[in-house]
This record gives sequence, structure tokens and C-alpha cells, in this order.
Amino acid sequence: MLEIVATETKLVSTIECFVADWGLATEITRETALVDDLEFDSIDVIQLIVAIETAFSRRNLGFQELLMVDGRYVEDLTVGQISDFLEARILGA
Amino acid sequence: MTKTVLIGLDGATFTVLGPLLDGSAEEGVVMPFLASMVADGFSGTLKSTAHPLTPPAWTTVATGRTPGAHGVYDFVRFEDLGHDVYFTLYDSRDIRVETFWQMVSRNDRSVVSLNFHMMAPPPHVNGALVPGFVSWKHLRRNSYPSDLFDRIAQVPGFDPKELSWDFEREGQIGEPTPDEELYSWVEAHLPRDRQWATLGQMLLEQDDPDLFALMLDGTDKIQHQAWHVMDPALWDPAAASDETKAVRALVIRYFRELDGYIRDLHAAAGPEAHVIIISDHGFTGSSAVVRINRYLHELGHLVWRETDGSEAAKRRDLANFANLDWAQSRAFCPTPSSNGIVIRRQSEACPGGVPEAEYEAFRDQLAADLLALPDPETGAPAIQAVLRREEAFPGPAMEDAPDLTVVLADHGFVSVRNRAPTIEHRPVPTGTHHPDGVFVMTGPGVMKRRGMELQIVDTTAIMAHSLGLEIPKEFEGKVPAKLYDPDWRAENPVRVAREAAPETATGAVARTEDDPSDEQKEEMLAQLRLLGYIED
Repeated sequence: MLEIVATETKLVSTIECFVADWGLATEITRETALVDDLEFDSIDVIQLIVAIETAFSRRNLGFQELLMVDGRYVEDLTVGQISDFLEARILGA
Repeated sequence: MTKTVLIGLDGATFTVLGPLLDGSAEEGVVMPFLASMVADGFSGTLKSTAHPLTPPAWTTVATGRTPGAHGVYDFVRFEDLGHDVYFTLYDSRDIRVETFWQMVSRNDRSVVSLNFHMMAPPPHVNGALVPGFVSWKHLRRNSYPSDLFDRIAQVPGFDPKELSWDFEREGQIGEPTPDEELYSWVEAHLPRDRQWATLGQMLLEQDDPDLFALMLDGTDKIQHQAWHVMDPALWDPAAASDETKAVRALVIRYFRELDGYIRDLHAAAGPEAHVIIISDHGFTGSSAVVRINRYLHELGHLVWRETDGSEAAKRRDLANFANLDWAQSRAFCPTPSSNGIVIRRQSEACPGGVPEAEYEAFRDQLAADLLALPDPETGAPAIQAVLRREEAFPGPAMEDAPDLTVVLADHGFVSVRNRAPTIEHRPVPTGTHHPDGVFVMTGPGVMKRRGMELQIVDTTAIMAHSLGLEIPKEFEGKVPAKLYDPDWRAENPVRVAREAAPETATGAVARTEDDPSDEQKEEMLAQLRLLGYIED
């Protein structure tokens, strides 16, 4: 349980650093959506994946399974979705 | 005390600079300081990389190696998964060799490196590094050391949005822009170089690095879109409209400001510094639009991906990445900036590819077919040369190079879109890259000499020598014999290392530890699809 909390805390911290200069007043929670709430554009998603991989010192986490649903690509992601994905991938490894 | 200053002027060419230096432009001498450097120093043509493009060319300057060794060929790289091809951006992890900034640091010299492409994520250096080709949103994380961003944010007038790469704005390059809109487009680029020059001036004065390197790219951006007001062969003030004259006046203002940046940086470095001004490639005008993938389709090598008519499909068709039926395509050009033709080899994942035994014959025939493509307007060949990768990009990274690289008759970039006709002409020439860039150098021992020809890869050897370092054995360039007067050269001999340095590249390390798996490739493909680069 502590490891799960640590993963989400680390993810939130990574995203807070990521958007630190963006001038947003949004608090980062599990419900925060990248596109709708944080105004992500295409380059930002690529950069976030790199930032997460760096923060967790892991690559090959298989983010495509998070980004694709039934052969279609999701239009947005919440922090909670990313956190759950990371927990499954990192703690389940 | 700073020994060496490198000022990169992206795309600078003597075709444009010449009249601004000698006063034959209608505005007279526009760049008096650079003119004095040419008069007092060593100057000539700097030959670019085999394909004169910003990422491979600046990476050559930043490594002392040609693309066949450093492995960067384009802005965008792709990986062929067989059933699909994914596109992503090159970054510093893709550079296969040590950067010069790292080598300088390893030899106990300090360095400031500003605005060079392919430097994010940033290599760790003994000094400061801010990469180019990075959005303002990601500048802090990609600056080194980690507290640098807070420091540069204290520079009066600092504005990260002005300083950084604007992907949306630069994406307009190559699109026709009316002069009344062009003025504001050019105007938006002046503050950007002003920001970099101010930042550079501060770091040069405060940090006093052994090596100071700054790249300014307003030259390239403005020449791409406003070539018709800059090329002396095209500029006709008597025929120009008021809007066109206003664009010309703004461009001249840009070059006056640029001359001031060079003057101030030169002064800050002091008279004992070697100051080197280079461009990564030159410039010329291009009027032909050559839709190379359409031609490959006509030759039977390529099948377009069928569209469902959706908005997502329309957006994908407008993207500057080839959009094909990968099961049926054997040869394609991935991006317009590459001018490269990739031949897909037959494999389990790509059963429709060219069998290994047929590869050479297929490539020879394709090269011949490309050279036979006529320009219907002129009747002359549309393609002046087709370079095989072993001749254009020899080295350990050659396998990542396109199988063939085309040089269009007017040096233009190809189009990868599915539009007709295969070749047509623009009403107004647009600026495009030319192999002949510029080299100007002043400082202790530098001869007064003009008209020499150097290779871009020589620049790094010249910088190493200027810093008092041995030139690494693996460097591919040399210090020209006529660069220095004999006495100074005798006192400061060129020393070439006997042994190659150990591989300490960021990219090489990353590749060894994290060789991308199929899963990771799929992940990146998925990311790009999410972004709309590929399709929704």
C-alpha cells in the first residue's frame, strides 16, 4: 500500500514540476485531465512520457496500452489513469 | 578568459550577406562589424553535410563527426514496424558519439552552449547549456545545470516564450505567405534572437567560459519565407509593392540587429579570443514543388493509405509524414526535410518489401528512374543527383540513413503529400537550403584571407585547437594549413591524439541500456497517434 501511495505521489510531483512554468492554477489530483485541465498539446505528451520514464528510471513501460482503447486512441488522460497504469506496471513487474 | 567563441548563424549565406557587407545593397553597408571581421580575418565557404539540413549539420559541428557517425539525419526519425511506421523526433539520446561540449568538459574546460538543436535532454557539461528546438513549456527541465533556468530568468526582459521554439509558427515554413502577412511573421522572429543574444551576453560576461557557443536561427527562418526580398537576383525595388518594401525594410533591420549582437559578443570575449562565425548550410531559391512520393506511386513502389474522409484523416494527410498503405509500399520518402528515399527490405514483419537478393538492382533502377524524372516546365531533369547512403553517409550509423538521398535541380525540399501534379512551380520562389554556408574567423594568429573552402566538420577541429586541446583521432575534420600565420602556428601546433577517446556518448550509453523493444516502439507510435501526428 505504501508503494502505491509513493507511486502516485511521485507522479503528481513529476507533473507539478512539469507544468511549473505554465501559469496554471490547477491543483494536480487524480481527476486532473492532461488536455482539458492542463492544456496539453502534442509535444507535451511526448515530453511527459520522457519525464515519467526519467523520474521512475524505467523505460519500456508499454504506455501504448494506456493510450489505446479498443484500437482507438484516447483523447485525454487523467492523472489517476496514469497512476494506476504505473502501479500495475511497476509494482506488478 | 574566454578562448573561443562560436556564433552560429543558421542558414547564413554570402549570397545575402555579400551586399550587406560590401555596401552594394540599396541600404548600403548593413553589417559593418561583420564586414570588418571579414576584412581583418579568414573567411570562405563552409560546405555543409551531404544533405544540408539543420539537425545533421549542427550535430556535426557539435560532435566533429559526419552524420554516418553521429547518427542524426533529420528532425524526425522513424522506425519501420512492418505493418506500420512510427514517427518521432530525434533528440540528444540519438547522438551516437560524444558531443564536443562534453569533450571540452572532460578536458577541464568550461563551456556555455546555447540554442543548438538535438541538445535536449541536455548532456551534463562543465558550464551551462540551454538547448534549441524546445518549447518554452519544457525549457526549465531541459536546461543544465538544474538551477540555470532560475538564473537566466533574472536577465532583464527575459521571456521564455520569445526565446523558445514556437512549433506552430515554424510549422508554417514552406507554406505560401502573402507579404501583408509575412511582415508580422518576420517581426515575430526579431525578439527571439534578441533574447538569445542578451542571454548569451550575460553568460559570456558572468561565467567567462573557455568555450562560448551560441546559435542564432532568425537567419534561416526569415530566409525561408522572405527569400524573394533578400536574394539580390530577385529583389527589384522598382517592382515591389509597399507591403513587400516593408518586409524588406524589416529584414534589413533584423540584419542590422544581428550585426550588433556579433559586435557585442566579440567585445565581451576580448581581443585574445578566437571568434568563429559559421552557418550550418547556405541558402538559395526554389520554385519547383516535387511530390516525390507521388512519383514513387507512379513507379509502382508506393500505395497511399485510403482515407475515410474524416477530419482526423484529413489532418493526417496534411501532416508532413508519409501516410501510406504500409503493406503495399516498398519505397517511400518519410518527410520533406529528409529528401531521402527509404527502400523497405523484405522480412517476416514486412513481407512486401524488397528481397535482399534484389536490393542492389532495385536501388540502381530506382536511382535511374529518379534521375529520369523530367520537370515539365523546363524539360530538364527535376533531380540533379541521387546519393547512395554509402557515399553520402559512410560510418557506423549508416544503416539509419535513407537508402537514397535526392538533390533537386534547384536544391529544394521534396513534398510527401498526395497531391497532383507530380511537379509544379511556385509563383514566387521560396528559400531553401544550399550546401555552401559561411565561415569567418578572427583572433590571434588568424590570417587575413578570403575565398577559402572548408568543410563543416572542420569547425570542431578548429575549436578544439583554439582551446589548446588535442584533436581527437576520431574527428573527421582538420585545421586548415592556411588558417594561421606560420609563426603563430609554430607556437601553437596542431596536435592530433594517437588513440581514439573512449565512447562516452549520451546517446550511445542510452542505446546500450535501453535498446527499444517492440513494445516501446508501439508505445511511441501510440503517443504520436494520440497527438494527431498519425491518426485519431
